[in-house]
Amino acid sequence: MSKKLGCYICSGCDVGQAVDTAKLAKLAERDLRVPVCRVHPFLCGPEGLALIRNDIEAGGVNAVVVAACSPRVKTEAFQFDPKMVLARVNLREHVAWCQEAGHEDTQMLAADYLRMGVVKAQKAEPLEPVSEPVSKQILVVGGGAAGLTAALEAAEAGYEVTLVESKAQLGGFAAGLKRSFSGTSLQPLIEAVSYHPRIQVLTSAWIERTEGQPGAFEVTVQADGTTTRFHAGAVVIATGWKPYDASRLGHLGYGTTPDVITGVELEHMAANGGIRRPSDGKPAKDVVFVQCAGSRDPDHLSYCSSVCCLATLKQAGYIHEQDPEARVYVVYKDMRTPGHYERYYRQAQDHPFNFLTKGEVTGVQRSGDKLVVAAKNTLLGEDIELRADLVVLATGMIPNSADGEAIRALEDAEIRAEKGESAAQRAEAARKAEELKAHRGTEILNLTYRQGPDLPVLRHGFPDSHFICFPYETRRTAIYAAGALRAPMDAAQAQQDALGAALKAIQSVELAARGQAVHPRAGDMSFPSFFLQRCTQCKRCTEECPFGALDEDEKGTPKPNPYRCRRCAICLGSCPERIISFKNYSVDMIASMIKAIEVPEEDEEKPRVLVFMCENDAYPALDIAGLKRLRYDPSVRVLPLRCLGSLNIVWIADALSRGIDGIMLIGCKLGDDYQCHFVRGSELAQRRLENVKETLQRLRLESERLQLTQFAINEADKLPALFNDFMERIREMGPNPYKGF
Amino acid sequence: MAALVQPDTRFIQEVMASGGADLKKCYQCATCSVVCALAPEDAPFPRKQMVEAQWGLKDRLVADPAIWLCHHCGDCTTRCPRGARPGDVFGALRAAAIRHFAFPGWLGALAASPKGLLVLLLLPALVFTGMMLSAAQQTPAGEMEFAHLFPILQLEALFFAVTGLVVLAFAIGALRLVRALRAAGATGSIAAGLVPALKEIATHQRFAECAEARSRRLGHLLTLWGFMGLAFMGTVVGLGTMTGLMHTPLPLAHPLKIFANLCAAIILAGLVILLADRLADPAKRAASSYFDWWFMWTLLGVVVTGIASELLRLWQTPVMYGVYYVHLVLVFALFLYAPYTKFAHLLYRTLAMAAARRGA
Repeated sequence: MSKKLGCYICSGCDVGQAVDTAKLAKLAERDLRVPVCRVHPFLCGPEGLALIRNDIEAGGVNAVVVAACSPRVKTEAFQFDPKMVLARVNLREHVAWCQEAGHEDTQMLAADYLRMGVVKAQKAEPLEPVSEPVSKQILVVGGGAAGLTAALEAAEAGYEVTLVESKAQLGGFAAGLKRSFSGTSLQPLIEAVSYHPRIQVLTSAWIERTEGQPGAFEVTVQADGTTTRFHAGAVVIATGWKPYDASRLGHLGYGTTPDVITGVELEHMAANGGIRRPSDGKPAKDVVFVQCAGSRDPDHLSYCSSVCCLATLKQAGYIHEQDPEARVYVVYKDMRTPGHYERYYRQAQDHPFNFLTKGEVTGVQRSGDKLVVAAKNTLLGEDIELRADLVVLATGMIPNSADGEAIRALEDAEIRAEKGESAAQRAEAARKAEELKAHRGTEILNLTYRQGPDLPVLRHGFPDSHFICFPYETRRTAIYAAGALRAPMDAAQAQQDALGAALKAIQSVELAARGQAVHPRAGDMSFPSFFLQRCTQCKRCTEECPFGALDEDEKGTPKPNPYRCRRCAICLGSCPERIISFKNYSVDMIASMIKAIEVPEEDEEKPRVLVFMCENDAYPALDIAGLKRLRYDPSVRVLPLRCLGSLNIVWIADALSRGIDGIMLIGCKLGDDYQCHFVRGSELAQRRLENVKETLQRLRLESERLQLTQFAINEADKLPALFNDFMERIREMGPNPYKGF
Repeated sequence: MAALVQPDTRFIQEVMASGGADLKKCYQCATCSVVCALAPEDAPFPRKQMVEAQWGLKDRLVADPAIWLCHHCGDCTTRCPRGARPGDVFGALRAAAIRHFAFPGWLGALAASPKGLLVLLLLPALVFTGMMLSAAQQTPAGEMEFAHLFPILQLEALFFAVTGLVVLAFAIGALRLVRALRAAGATGSIAAGLVPALKEIATHQRFAECAEARSRRLGHLLTLWGFMGLAFMGTVVGLGTMTGLMHTPLPLAHPLKIFANLCAAIILAGLVILLADRLADPAKRAASSYFDWWFMWTLLGVVVTGIASELLRLWQTPVMYGVYYVHLVLVFALFLYAPYTKFAHLLYRTLAMAAARRGA
């Protein structure tokens, strides 16, 4: 089907005052040969929209260029047909609102953006959504507070659920408590799940395999010696936590005497017959709680588990219930009782024989019949010693996660150790395998993904992918983490968490049923396609995909699983052969847009800087800069990318050979305080950029012509200075010597 | 060297029961120490004392002059984010210190609780009933005089004897406090500190820094000076009558009588201000404990019955004997129990100020 472009220029919202829209229309019609071109003063109004719709319906227009406001606004108004080619040209936020009205440079900026938009529409193809039958069943892994809640909520919303629990009984950690912080029991929830018509519960079970992709997982479970197979569309994983290994806390006396125990041990003691000194069964009259035992400690767990302080205050209550005259001491780093739990703290504080102080425990020694706990930096203004019958270490929480990437690395190392090419390689592989051996047998989901059999984990072993904005997301599409697996939390919070994760799972199966992407490109119907005849099996795409969407055949050719894909196009950026493309986003399309930028001759003294900008944070920030009417150098040409990780280095070569004087890459912050919506995109862009810089040096071009900036959405105020400073440096360096070639 | 910390749980209960009920609510933010106008920069209070009290560290607290440097204006209490009422806790700590240093100790315990009230009043009631009954058999006719039912010599002898006991109890209390101060590391001459301390007590200059307690300061100053005047008068007249140089009642125009009546008016004014202050206190800046009320009402009772006795005597009505009887019971109670009630702050605060050298 041949494409017929329609270009619609809006002159409302200051655009008409800032630029000559008639000239732009002439440019589109005469130079760019767009068959239909119209200017309207209020394009998003009923009349303007009717104009476009009429051209589509009666005029045969099937690819639309809207040169008006930012593509982030008025999305519904300009959504004529989700499959149709639509290019939005941002003349308002990126031109009219940030540049001098009527200036020659402003007009040139608008003209370049229009050229890029028209080329984009010319190069893009209409979408052909994939639509396969999907399973909407939800697999919940873990039968604790979070898993039970997720299962019940999903079932109540009308979805079939299979709940897999490794123990013989449901309830998880919370079931073993003497009582919860709120005093409520999980029993009603366990019963509701057990008897729910849409929930199948498999206890004493483990997952042998999880194959396939979102909407079409095939799960094999071993439960009580029988094998069960079923389909699932999405997974909620809520495998909970385990206490930090107290045997590593010898400096706090653990292991040196039976009277030093952990908070979890005390809880079990209280739940099973009462609290006594383990050494001789005598009552505990003086009990010292040591908070942050191995927590917020760089040598052990560097984070706060947020629950241990509450557990201690609760357990102080157990001790006083048993013996109202007992003295309970709590030495803490900070008393942390988040939210309404502050009241819990207040209540515990009120007990006359609870003695609380900030402090740092320096040692636990036995002295005759008693233990002596020494602490420094206390609120009492001096170093103190406390006599105790029982010392309780409030240890932190570790997620019950499996590090899929580490397991994969272990497997690879084991194979290399056996079949390595050289003795040195085999030795190195053996060393690596030894280092990773703790991961052996930790598998939970047993995914058949090329990148490893379980969720990749980030810092501290938590399998999240974007802690702040997208809490339940993991790096495996349609698998959502909930509860203490995701972040340290108590049972009540875990139940709240489960609601969110269950809803995400429902969303993902519904989106999969429509062939649409989940967060952050929710609703996107494009898919990557691979021109495999030219594939060199370099495996970069299969390794770099942050979501493990690509498996490999024996030779290393990528095997796409489209429903695992989040459409970030990082694969497109990774491919040296440039064989990966989307219908509406391709190497050729971006390269053509770059070529559409008009580069003035050297003697005109109008430098041009191309800015590759991440669509998720940096681009909205530039919109905000427009809203704030911040002015910046009109020489920049912004080209939004789905993710900075989708940057293919060929574009840089293209731009420089076109005479572009400098290139800026603005993406999200790198590292484990991850802001990148696709986890590792900006990191990958940085790596690629370093390779390009070497090439630049060989070409005798200043590597300073390329700059990568890490940027957050709330930094709009910094954008003008960022652009202006870079332009200043470019002017100092002088024009790109390849200009005019 | 780390200190072995062992909480005195009875002390905690005692402090909580005698005005410091919210003690445990403190979470050590130190807002109190920051807002206190009186806390010295190098040894601020009451944050530190709050945690020590929570932990039942009695020995440190009773030997800490800081508890006596507070005038209970309530700034800390109204600003406390947790409602721990440090000002009230300090009141309870002072009561606990008085009880701790009391000699004999059982009297201290008796004076600290409302349960001991009847026993405490029963003793003077019986003494004066006995005195009245034995004297009533030989009441001379003519103008009614208190001496007819309460012979001057018996009275004076009794009161000087009581004074002796009180001085002894105070001396032992003072000795115990000084010993505790020394044990807690106080150095320097307490005697030398007395001069600035007495100067402060005479002028209440530091007290004036409690901006929120202006009226209390005035009431306290008037009460103190009125009391001093009356105490001086009582001693002079007592000695005068015992040596036969004077005969009471003194004529109204006698300079000493004029002075005494003036002092009575001053102390009454002071007490009314203090009472109004305690009763009004709309912001609940400072709670009043049994310990506070005992002292307040006894002193006020002494003053009111004293003035009433004088007026009734001038009016020559037999009711005057009844009122005077009550007056004598209250005066007796006020003085005999001085080392065990809030009255004792006169001594301990002075010593603590001297030790802390904050009087200047």
